[in-house]
Amino acid sequence: MSSTATTRPNGLALFILPSALLFALFFFLPIGLMAVMSVLTGNPVVMPKVAFTTRHYARMIGDPFYLEVIWTTIRIGLVTTLVALLIGYPLAHWMARIKSRTGHALLLMAVLAPMLTGIVVRTFAWMTLLSDKGVINQTLISLGLISQPLKLMYTETGIVVGLVHIYVPFMVLTLTGVIGRIDERLEQAAENLGASPLRAFLEVTLPLSLPGILAGSLLVFALAISAYVTPILLGGFQIMTLPILIYQQISANFNVGFAAALGIILLMISLLLVIAYNRALGLVSGQRELQ
Amino acid sequence: MSASIEIAGVSKVYDGGVRAVDAVAMDIRQGEFFSLLGPSGCGKTTTLRMIAGFEIPSAGAIRVDGADITHVPAHKRDMGMVFQNYALFPHRTVAENVAFGLRMRGLDKATIAAKVKAALAMVELSGLEDRRPAQLSGGQQQRVALARAIVIAPRVLLCDEPLGALDKKLRQQMQFELKQLQKKLGLTLVFVTHDQEEALAMSDRIAVMNGGRVEQVGTPTEIYNQPTTRFVADFIGDTNIFRGERAGPNLDVGKGLILALPPSEMQSTGVLSVALRPEKIRLSPRTDAAVTAGSAARGVIESTNFLGGAVLYRVTLEGGHRVLVQQPNAGTSRLFVPGNGVTLDWTPADLVVLKD
Repeated sequence: MSSTATTRPNGLALFILPSALLFALFFFLPIGLMAVMSVLTGNPVVMPKVAFTTRHYARMIGDPFYLEVIWTTIRIGLVTTLVALLIGYPLAHWMARIKSRTGHALLLMAVLAPMLTGIVVRTFAWMTLLSDKGVINQTLISLGLISQPLKLMYTETGIVVGLVHIYVPFMVLTLTGVIGRIDERLEQAAENLGASPLRAFLEVTLPLSLPGILAGSLLVFALAISAYVTPILLGGFQIMTLPILIYQQISANFNVGFAAALGIILLMISLLLVIAYNRALGLVSGQRELQ
Repeated sequence: MSASIEIAGVSKVYDGGVRAVDAVAMDIRQGEFFSLLGPSGCGKTTTLRMIAGFEIPSAGAIRVDGADITHVPAHKRDMGMVFQNYALFPHRTVAENVAFGLRMRGLDKATIAAKVKAALAMVELSGLEDRRPAQLSGGQQQRVALARAIVIAPRVLLCDEPLGALDKKLRQQMQFELKQLQKKLGLTLVFVTHDQEEALAMSDRIAVMNGGRVEQVGTPTEIYNQPTTRFVADFIGDTNIFRGERAGPNLDVGKGLILALPPSEMQSTGVLSVALRPEKIRLSPRTDAAVTAGSAARGVIESTNFLGGAVLYRVTLEGGHRVLVQQPNAGTSRLFVPGNGVTLDWTPADLVVLKD
């Protein structure tokens, strides 16, 4: 009797059920379907005869246009991540080290407040700033600094500006947690041993915050390469990224198989990065994290 | 070369108006083991951090070998520091931790390697060069922190409760080793601790701090035998403190107890506090003979604590005063037990008059 009691699964395990169902229904199932669709000649629901094919992938690799789209997507992701890191790190460091509680609350509000507004609204706001007749160009022209409006919208720069604005909070929040856990006395110890404050930062704080830098960058990169609204509104179909291309393939060309293949590529890019992230983390934090 | 430190009227007031350190003045001599002793929140760590340059004094000046360093940034002070939690760099090996200060001084690789080797040998950690701090025991981490601080041949070594996290046995061993090292290298060492036994055992001189102020500066024997304030008498070791009105050559502390004042204190007037250490009182079995007023009293044992090397008695005097009496464990005599009648006597010269 007692043996049956011990072999029975822990009742608490039932609490995992909702999330397990959620994952199965909305994560593994769609991705599985997408993977299957990417190697079929058509949609088996509407077409009776379908066969396995690799032509969607072959088309992608064979056409420089699609490779260019993939590269543009990655490039926008990389630049967005870099800029978000350069803006986010000092802010996160400030937040993690600020002594005043009010100061910390105000900084946190400043970081979180933009997230209370929808992405679409914020992107439209950037359009009023960046367009040829927008605030920036009008101001510069009226000041006589430029005669022709600068091309800010419908460029990669415009997209990056919009994406950075949206994803900087993710970078800041990830970094603040990591930097906050670094003992301030380590920097003081470095200074005590003769390192200038900048040197102490470079030798101690920066390497110790690498896990945060990697995690924040991974998050922002993954979000930036899969962004759809901002590249469409600020790029105005002039700049083609993978999410836009996928949408076009489904809604305009009804080529679900090709769209699925593109989706798998987008997923692969993120997946490769997660693997690289884990590797890098193992290298920077030595043996401890791996055990 | 070790340096002397002069702390001249230094205060630290934080934004909220809290006076962490209040007009502290002391001279730390070259090659001296100097302890800042006090309860938590007494300002000892803040004082140390101001010497290190992590805090800027709100008022006053800090001078090293006569040169004002009050506003010199921490990294230009050339002082070694051992932090309370050691503050070892977790992402670097033992050897890299020790080499850090040498690297900042721009020494060449061969010199650094030789000095790191010598420093690790000095703290008996040879062979652990490639370990990371997390792979070391508390005592080993403590030694790495010490090696890292002394390898740069600092003018002053600052220690912020460096032994606090170690267990008692290891702590006593490290106390001994640190003291040996300090003597051997002739280091000026400023040591922050709340442990009075540690301070008494290691220091050349001690500054007892309370509420941001220095209560007394002196050698361990001066601090213990001649405390000048009630706080010092109370904080260092066990003591009996009496308070009363001056009456001729005596002090009337009430409840029928009269204490003869030491001859050196004849000029004191008014209300006084005096301290009498438990081990300065002698105990004998009660007799019917009259006791000498002023330097003896009769009482009853209330409790007996056998401490091993000594016995601590709590005695209630006839008038109701309760006093602590400590007797060495002679090994032969029987202990007094609660309820025993006893006669206490002491030498008036052992009474110490305190400032409140």
